[in-house]
Amino acid sequence: MRNSSNHLDKITCQRMQRDFDDAVDFDPKDPLFGLDRNSFAGPQLERRTVLRLLAAAGSLTAFHLMPGTVREAKAASGGTLTAGWAGVGEIRTIDPAQINQVLEFQISSNVLSGLTHINPQLIAEGDLAKDWQVSEDGTEYVFNLREGVTFHNGDPFTADDVIYTYNRSKDPKNSLHSRVVADIVAMDKINDHKLRIKLKAPSASFLVKTLERSSGRAMTIVSRGGIEKLGLQQYGLTPVGTGPFKVTEHTLGQGLTLERFDKYYDPERPKLDKVIIKPIIDAEPLAAAIEAGDIQLIGGNPIAPELTDRFTANSDLKVSIVPGPGFQSLWLNPWRDPYKVADFNKPVDELMKEKGFMVRLAIAKAIDRDEYIKQAQFGRGTPAYGSINPAMRYYYDPDIGKTSNQRFDLAAARKLLADAGYPNGEGFPKLKVVCTPSAKREVTVLANILKRNLNINLELDIKDFPVLLDQFDTMQDWDIVRVGSGGDFDPDDGLVDWMETTSKFNGRRRDKSKYAFGYFSDKEVDQLTEQERVTADPAKRKVLVQKANKITSDKVASAFIFHPADILVHRKTVNFPDESRIPGLVDLDRTSIS
Amino acid sequence: MTQYLIRRTLGAVLVMWAVATLVFFMLRAVPGDPVAAMLFDVGDAAAVAQLRAKFGLDQPIYIQYFKWFVLLLHGDLGNSIYGSRIAVSRIVLEALPRTLSLASLSFVIAVVIAVPAGIISAVRRYSKLDHTVTVVAFLGLSMPDFWVGIVLIIVFASHLQWLPAIGYEPMSQGFWPWFSHLILPAIAVGTAFSAIIARMIRSSMLEVLKTEYVNVARAKGLMKWRIILVHALPNALIPVVTVLGIALALLMAGAVVVENVFAIKGLGRVLIGGILNRDYPVVQGAILVVSAIFVFANLIVDVLYTVIDPRIRLD
Repeated sequence: MRNSSNHLDKITCQRMQRDFDDAVDFDPKDPLFGLDRNSFAGPQLERRTVLRLLAAAGSLTAFHLMPGTVREAKAASGGTLTAGWAGVGEIRTIDPAQINQVLEFQISSNVLSGLTHINPQLIAEGDLAKDWQVSEDGTEYVFNLREGVTFHNGDPFTADDVIYTYNRSKDPKNSLHSRVVADIVAMDKINDHKLRIKLKAPSASFLVKTLERSSGRAMTIVSRGGIEKLGLQQYGLTPVGTGPFKVTEHTLGQGLTLERFDKYYDPERPKLDKVIIKPIIDAEPLAAAIEAGDIQLIGGNPIAPELTDRFTANSDLKVSIVPGPGFQSLWLNPWRDPYKVADFNKPVDELMKEKGFMVRLAIAKAIDRDEYIKQAQFGRGTPAYGSINPAMRYYYDPDIGKTSNQRFDLAAARKLLADAGYPNGEGFPKLKVVCTPSAKREVTVLANILKRNLNINLELDIKDFPVLLDQFDTMQDWDIVRVGSGGDFDPDDGLVDWMETTSKFNGRRRDKSKYAFGYFSDKEVDQLTEQERVTADPAKRKVLVQKANKITSDKVASAFIFHPADILVHRKTVNFPDESRIPGLVDLDRTSIS
Repeated sequence: MTQYLIRRTLGAVLVMWAVATLVFFMLRAVPGDPVAAMLFDVGDAAAVAQLRAKFGLDQPIYIQYFKWFVLLLHGDLGNSIYGSRIAVSRIVLEALPRTLSLASLSFVIAVVIAVPAGIISAVRRYSKLDHTVTVVAFLGLSMPDFWVGIVLIIVFASHLQWLPAIGYEPMSQGFWPWFSHLILPAIAVGTAFSAIIARMIRSSMLEVLKTEYVNVARAKGLMKWRIILVHALPNALIPVVTVLGIALALLMAGAVVVENVFAIKGLGRVLIGGILNRDYPVVQGAILVVSAIFVFANLIVDVLYTVIDPRIRLD
């Protein structure tokens, strides 16, 4: 590190070395050792806490230790950025209460604010909250709100707006996200700029999800005056917020125009005068548009994997690739032969004696994920062995690929299949894989890999998403479903939402008299998940999360395939700074054009 | 004529009602729950049930139909299930000008190419020119419009950078922004239609050119261009107009793929998006508008017959 910092003065170098030692060497086993409740209070986490979180995540670099790590955009302020939003024909809403797609909250994140906002390390920072204190038991938060903040319509922002947003969001008739705020038992105004929130129980994801301005959505602050004046429909198209940009025009199917909000609480932001967002549904026109300069940046849905190499080879474009949130799986119906498992509540050794489980494991072990990623994702992505993904950084176990039962082992997979009564795949029934049209190529790659490795045949059953979901939810009419998750920033997204017996995806509309659970159920995973979601201490939570994740992997809750890469493409004239590079989001407040 | 128009208009309303009713029941027979899809990553079973109740989707289908029909009689197409429950009329009305623009320009391009090509091909029958027109027409028919669109984008937007690759600008932004955004998709859509129309004009012209009144015109020593354009073409156009009417209607609703390629959200895209998401009100509203376009395009064609051929009396 010293060698690389020749241009820094001696005192700075000494301070950087001290910080580095403190972050990494305090306790080699656990860089978070010694951090207490106060360390996690706001407005931002202490520098020491952040450095240790980075060290724990394995992503601490000299860059983070250098003075003034928040670099200002090099280019001059002003200008208009035209962005293409991939894979969508129109933006039907940016009202946080109705948003159900990542590509929508990518926009709302530029227009509306929350009490907190995650940074590129996925650590919560104060947004409209200036700072906060947490009670000893982790169930009470007191927030000091920023003063002098105004909505785009000129209304002042106060604690009443937070309470209004909460009351709106907790009612399922008004919001899709009432579940997110279900843990809040009371929200009291102390004064106009001070607020107390009480929770049923401590919540590990409270700051990074519930109160987060984009992904959480339930507590993205909306304007009462704006809703009353515009009405719900129009508010959904041109919401009034306190964010860096205001929506000045929104024509369905044609796009949005965002303009700089001059009274944004940070006078340094936003840099751009105007942002035009155009929805572009097909891959080739999207590529042509950015190559021709019609658009300068791509947001929205992930771009088609085959375009990445083409963009990388283009000297006018910059392609930034970081681990993305989410996971994709093959879900194996445990209520069907040949991989029937009626009860997962047994040690793995015992499960290994059941033929149904052997087949599940054989399929999971026979998938060469590296080969799949190379063929289906053009080499971008991370092999998955659980729902906890690399974008969750600190909670992700990078060694799970070596320790999981699902690790690729062809000989073992073939032996398992033979022991289950299907030597070399003989007599193995043809299975249908339900997938959406957009996943056809990827599932074909998987089917080819399994045919070659196990000599089993998978037949594609392509369905529109609503039909696929009907089958998946009811546990009926499917052998295998290829589906997964995106936009997961917190371990709860992987465990609470997917891996518990009561998870919202776990056969939520099944006939419960017929199926005791959906695709997976394990009491230990349930217990660990319930513990981790109320454990505020990151170190303790990490242990619980990784343990639960490992069990779901070993017991083949699904055959996990890959975690996507988050790919941001823009023209080189666009300066998209590192501090805005939050996986899954496209925050444009620090972006400028040269 | 007035009676005929009233009768046809009433008939058209009946057809539209029948189409909309059929679509209403067919949509609900298709598997896939729109609310479950919408709440995929945010709601549990209770939330799905609650929202289904809010949209009235938990009620018997005949009650849903009755409520929808009463709203329709009041001129209300309902609201989209997705997003901020935007009024269907707004979604359709915002898409309609894009579709109209694209269809009109494609139609003009198709006719501008097809009419001279068809006439030349008929007049110079079996000549090299005729064979060339025939080959080009078959090429035009054989090339998928989305492929033509992509090639046009690559050439004129990516390489030459003369025209924008995607999007739509309304005429209110000026003629050139409107035209420059539409010309490539219009060529992509119009090429195939021009091939069909050119072939139709050719065979129709050949028939007319054999008739006695054309021989008489020749015998009278009229100039060739006058015989073709003034005497033969109007009669040759009668069967072609039928195709043109249907073609215009098809262009209005059928340019979905090209709309995708050029990122233009027209009626076709509204319809496809609605079907994929099981957004019932949007599909019903869009189908109603599309069926209206078809029915009234046919009515206009019938009326046009009387203009082209005064012998035809609609009464």
